[in-house]
Amino acid sequence: MLLVLLLPLAARAQEELENPGVVLAVQDRAFRMNSELMLAIGVVPLDAFYKGLSGEVSYTYHFSDSIAWQIGRFLYSYNISTGLQNQLVRDFGVNPTAFTQTNWIAGSDFMWTPIYGKFAWLNSSVAHFEIYTLLGFSVVNQRVSSDIAAGTTSTTFVPGINFGIGWRFYISKTVSLRFEWSDNVCFSTTGVQNIMVVQLGVAFNFGSTE
Amino acid sequence: MRGDVKTRLVVFLGLVPGLALGQAQPTPPTAAPAQGTPPAAKPAPAAATPAAAGTPAAATPPAAPEAAKAPAEKVDAALFDEALQDYFADHKESAARKLYAYIEGSPPTDENHPWAQYFLARCFIDLGLRHAGAVYLAKVARERSNPQVLPRTLEALRTLILVPHDEVLIDEQVFGSLDLGFLPDSVSDYANYEQGLVDLRVGNERWANTHFLKLEEGSVEASRAKFALLVTRLKKLSGKGVPDEMIEDFLALSNDEKLTLEARNEARLAVARLRYERKDFEGALKAYDMVQLPALDPGRATLYLEEAWTRYNIGQLRAAMGLLTTLDAPSFREEFLPDKYILRALVYRDLCHYLPAKRAAKELTRRYAESLDAIREREDLTLDARLRAAASSHGSTKRAAKFRDSLNLEIELKTRYAGGFGDRLFTQVTKLYDLAYAEAERIYRQRLQEAVREEADKLLLAAEQVRLMEYEVGLKLYERIKRGAKVVQPEKQTPIGPGQEAFRFDGEYWNDELRSYRVSIPSRCVEEGAL
Repeated sequence: MLLVLLLPLAARAQEELENPGVVLAVQDRAFRMNSELMLAIGVVPLDAFYKGLSGEVSYTYHFSDSIAWQIGRFLYSYNISTGLQNQLVRDFGVNPTAFTQTNWIAGSDFMWTPIYGKFAWLNSSVAHFEIYTLLGFSVVNQRVSSDIAAGTTSTTFVPGINFGIGWRFYISKTVSLRFEWSDNVCFSTTGVQNIMVVQLGVAFNFGSTE
Repeated sequence: MRGDVKTRLVVFLGLVPGLALGQAQPTPPTAAPAQGTPPAAKPAPAAATPAAAGTPAAATPPAAPEAAKAPAEKVDAALFDEALQDYFADHKESAARKLYAYIEGSPPTDENHPWAQYFLARCFIDLGLRHAGAVYLAKVARERSNPQVLPRTLEALRTLILVPHDEVLIDEQVFGSLDLGFLPDSVSDYANYEQGLVDLRVGNERWANTHFLKLEEGSVEASRAKFALLVTRLKKLSGKGVPDEMIEDFLALSNDEKLTLEARNEARLAVARLRYERKDFEGALKAYDMVQLPALDPGRATLYLEEAWTRYNIGQLRAAMGLLTTLDAPSFREEFLPDKYILRALVYRDLCHYLPAKRAAKELTRRYAESLDAIREREDLTLDARLRAAASSHGSTKRAAKFRDSLNLEIELKTRYAGGFGDRLFTQVTKLYDLAYAEAERIYRQRLQEAVREEADKLLLAAEQVRLMEYEVGLKLYERIKRGAKVVQPEKQTPIGPGQEAFRFDGEYWNDELRSYRVSIPSRCVEEGAL
């Protein structure tokens, strides 16, 4: 039994003896970020009463290839009603007690990029990408319709935590595409809200170390 | 094992014709005369019978062989105009048939005779029959009966030399023997360069210089002429040591933007090789680093092997091993590199991995067993697939093989035009290709015989090294370790820098990584007398 268990170890030792050494392909990183300005468009899809079309601008400073600080981001949401609210009023005579819509979100995040890779495109070119995660805080500006029938609205500021994951596809040393999913977990007086944002952005890199 | 100066000079010499033939300034296909200004056609003679010439042979198959043999009848000058109309209407087969009929039926002194030959050549080239086109262009260039046609003809020929072509027909009989007095400026530099090159090949540098001195200073041809001259001088210096100026001259050429990237890389390789011969290994490495490859281009196996030898000589064993890993890539799997196995064995031996060293050395005899048997049995070496492939992979043999293969393709292609050409033209084209193929095959065989012998010599030398290596490793394997010996300190590994990425190699080769392999392999050698 012991011999059987030792068999793989013996095989490995034999392999080491016959083909000693480890081979690494060590390359200079083709793309390195420094100061990044991103312009993005996306959707705020979660709320059943409206869908938001969003536009975001953000600035990120990269301390290294894996650590960065998204110093500031500002997202504006253009909201389109789904018609559900009217349907509720018209068909069932029901009104939501407090109806909120996201106007804009501002925040700042820590960005960690653990994965950098490349893939072959049609076996004729090589493209590079990275996968990053975000963790930070947000301030959400919301419009609250407290009395729908009377048309009474007010705005509130709600704090929240933002986390997300994104995929960056490098077009060139200065331009990359970012596809990002993030969720703002907001803590309002009425409870916890999730404001999910899915967006696609163009990032411009300035002052690259290349 | 790395080639000595003499061997390397052969490589250099091989470059010269390659440079001459492969790196001419790309010229767009010469535009045909504008529609509005075709060469004037003669008034139609009353007795002309153009109809027969203009009729496709397919329409009259039974009379075809007789028609092909029958003497050509005098043709109507209007046939030339019709042919031109067909040519510009993109009816190339019909145009070719009429042009050939016109050429056959008109005297060489006819004003339109050379134009007809020129347009027939253009038709052939447009139809993919480049050699047939070259033959008619060469006729125009040699006969020179109409000075107006000549510049266009020479421009067209310059385009043809960018692809596999008949070197004797175009390089020697046209560009190598043109009367340079009346040539237009656009071609005279190239003709001077070619004629200088012909003189260099026969060893007459003084005559070559008379041609090269006429080249416009700063022109592409001037740069290429410098390169050719340097290579020739290098040949003469064989065994006498290389002067610094020569290396500097090659270095200057390696930065000459007028040369193609390939030619600049050749100059860099020349610098690297010369420095290597002078044991300036660090300098050689710098020159190898200067070699620029287009994105995802795997490069050349010889480049990696030479760099690996250089690194081995300055003790960078692991870096040398990394380059040997590169040489195992699929792009180089069919390369004939007996040295590769010897170098790998040497690296393993120096790191005291004796079994892998023995195995690496034996890999050579295993891989080339059939070729070695063929050499020992004194068989016809041109029949050995590996040696034949190795011999055909570079130099003049490669060019001869490529030309023969291109003829083969064109011979297949011409059968498509049997109907459109008509019997007379098709018979003529068939005859032309049969002769060309037979000659191309003869030249290829002749060059192959010589080249295959050189490759066999290389292989035998490497096999000899293998036997020595096996003996040496056998001794080391059973060497007693003395009391107090200890394993040598492991070499410090170069850490992966902040701007670097490391991809662990798992057998999958990526072209962009071929120059980046780094091998981490511990030394198993012992230091005697320690403790």
